[in-house]
Amino acid sequence: MSIINRHESQYARSLIEASLDPLVTINTKGKITDMNEALANVTGMTREQLTNTDFFDYFTEPQKAREVYQEVFANGSVADSPLTLRHGNGKLTDVLFNGSVYKDNRGNVLGVVVVARDVTDQKRIATELNEAKVSAERATKVAEEATKVAEEATKVAEESKRKAENATKIAEEAVKAKQQFLSNMSHEIRTPMNAIIGFTKVLLKTDLTARQKEYLTAIKMSGDSLIVLINDILDLAKVDAGKMTFEQTPFKMALSLSAMLHLFETKIQEKNLKLVKIYDDNIPEVLVGDPVRLHQIILNLVSNAVKFTSNGKIIISTHLLCEDEKNVTIEFAVTDTGIGIPENKLENIFENFQQATSGTSRLYGGTGLGLAIVKQLVEAQNGTIHVKSQVGEGSTFSFTLSFLKTNADAESELAIVEPDAEIRNIKVLVAEDIAINQLLMKTILDDFGFERDIAENGKIAIEKLKATSYDIILMDLQMPEMNGFEATNYIRNTMNSKVPIIALTADVTTVDLAKCRAVGMNDYIAKPVDERLLYSKIVGLVKKPVPVLEQKVHVQNSGDRIKCIDMDYLTRRTKSNPILMMEMISLYLEQTPPLISAMKQGLQDKDWNSLYLAVHKMIPSFSIMGISSDFEDMAKKVQEFASTQKQAEEMPALVLQLENICVQACEELEEEFNSIKNTNP
Amino acid sequence: MNNKNKIKIFLVDDDALFLKLLEMDFLQHADFEIETFATGELCIENLSHDPDVIILDYVLDGLDKNAMNGIETLDRIKTFDERIPVVMLSSQDKIEVAISCMHHKAFDYVVKSETAFIRLQKAINSIFSFQKLEKQLNWYMERM
Repeated sequence: MSIINRHESQYARSLIEASLDPLVTINTKGKITDMNEALANVTGMTREQLTNTDFFDYFTEPQKAREVYQEVFANGSVADSPLTLRHGNGKLTDVLFNGSVYKDNRGNVLGVVVVARDVTDQKRIATELNEAKVSAERATKVAEEATKVAEEATKVAEESKRKAENATKIAEEAVKAKQQFLSNMSHEIRTPMNAIIGFTKVLLKTDLTARQKEYLTAIKMSGDSLIVLINDILDLAKVDAGKMTFEQTPFKMALSLSAMLHLFETKIQEKNLKLVKIYDDNIPEVLVGDPVRLHQIILNLVSNAVKFTSNGKIIISTHLLCEDEKNVTIEFAVTDTGIGIPENKLENIFENFQQATSGTSRLYGGTGLGLAIVKQLVEAQNGTIHVKSQVGEGSTFSFTLSFLKTNADAESELAIVEPDAEIRNIKVLVAEDIAINQLLMKTILDDFGFERDIAENGKIAIEKLKATSYDIILMDLQMPEMNGFEATNYIRNTMNSKVPIIALTADVTTVDLAKCRAVGMNDYIAKPVDERLLYSKIVGLVKKPVPVLEQKVHVQNSGDRIKCIDMDYLTRRTKSNPILMMEMISLYLEQTPPLISAMKQGLQDKDWNSLYLAVHKMIPSFSIMGISSDFEDMAKKVQEFASTQKQAEEMPALVLQLENICVQACEELEEEFNSIKNTNP
Repeated sequence: MNNKNKIKIFLVDDDALFLKLLEMDFLQHADFEIETFATGELCIENLSHDPDVIILDYVLDGLDKNAMNGIETLDRIKTFDERIPVVMLSSQDKIEVAISCMHHKAFDYVVKSETAFIRLQKAINSIFSFQKLEKQLNWYMERM
């Protein structure tokens, strides 16, 4: 070898040794023939130990290493094949295996030169990078999941919020629905009740036997108590919903109270109780408050007191607790000597549907709503209510209410005009859609002797009002097509008519009343219609300054000019057959005078049996000849007196009236007879 | 007796007005042969006319204290021929009166009112359906 060659060889050797990547040559058998220091370092073995050993022994996967260098022999080279070298102490070094064959001058393959590039750092970095990436990804994932969880939490929160809102809404709607239902039901119940009570009242005024009267009275009383119950339920619903409103009108406390207590007089007398009224005279005469609700409270308490007391007395007292410039506070108390309430029951006596004992309702009736309403009504007006009771001794219910003082005069309560006052020729338009109510109003108005016209709804009412003039309109509020409010609005604002309008309403909510006034109605009347009230309201509105003096004209006296007979029935029954009519009339003329004299004779001789029989015979003729049923009632009264064999003070007067009407009827029938005779020769 | 197919009804009431009205109703609404009497005595006297049904007022002695009253008349009719159905008519609505009439073998009791005629018609109808049933029953009984 030349020196240059040696130099070159040395140079190459130092290059080889300097490399940090392990370099190794292996022969065709796979035995290591040469290596650099780096390989010794990586494997942890000396060059001597390494030389002539199997190269692939130093890899973690010897089989793979063998395949790789066999590949080099086969293909001439291999590039970047990843393998792992194992150090004697177990340390692993990742390498990229690059190799190529080397040949002698003749081209015979001597072995393979392998460069195993140490990629531990890269690998580490890559791993770290990867790990970083993974953890970054994981972090992202966690973050995402957290977001998701957060989102879900939000969703859940929102959901529950929505659910809560829904629940509230549902609850509110349920309350609303309940009220609506109650209101509807009460309307639906009131409408037929209106007809039942109304027609019962009408029937009660007709010719009835004592027994029929008794039955009808029972029907009416049952109807009345049903209406009270319905009103109670409606009131409670209103208070519950905070819809109860209270009026602020000036009223006379003392008058108002005594008028109300008047209602109980018969009941109290019937039960042989004593009613004691204690009124504090220091209470100002006129106060501002809600007299209707005050009535309702006291009415409930007093009716309870009456109901639960079988002997003793009922004391109603008022006491002025305090008074300042603006307000007065009054304590009202209702004390009875009734059955009393056990102490353990006192607490929930004011709850809905509670009575002291469950047996109470069986014994005394009632729904247990009265006190609940009382409490609600008192507390809604910022009052307080207390009860003291001793079983067997009696109870005291007391409550306090404040009223405003005023200088204003109380609205004069409409005095109820006697229905027999002579006011005729009043033309009434009734706007009412329900047929049975129409019929009832017709009957009542006919009874009053008023002219009346019916409209099925507001629209028709307006048309009728345009065509004819009426003295007054009775306006139902709920009607199809056009309701009472709309109709009134039209009448007042478009037609500019001031015709008095009375609202007919089944649902007396204060809201409605305010609405009635707002559209310009003059008054209202609740169904079932109280006839006397309706009459006085109609008369009051139509003849504003009612001439009080001319009212007391008795039918009998004014009857001189008005015919007492009415041939309607007879005409109908005889089918207008003049011969039959004349026959009937002559029969009446024949038989009545003897009856009159028998009646008078009976009275004179105190022969009650004769009197009874004579009057008895007279009775059917009244309705046949169309004579007012008033006289039939009179005759029946006489019969009653006669059958009990008692001389009643009013008897002679009654007999005289009967005589007069019969004489008058005879005179009129004679004329009638002649006129039929003349027109039918 | 010349009109054998028509149902013959006696109406007995001392209230001429009501009697006339009832007669009118019967003549207008159904094809009956009607005889009217103002007193129980007159009714009894004419029982030989062979009435199918008698409508009898309860109070016949209203004016004439000596007149036969409704129950007496009813008893007399039943003594004459128990089979003649009698419907009592009265403005009395007392239960006791009605019961006493039934005890005296009245077929039915009708209170004088606007609907009296309708109820009388019904009573008469039921009399005839009752009689028909009775006849049928007898027919079967005879053959058993």
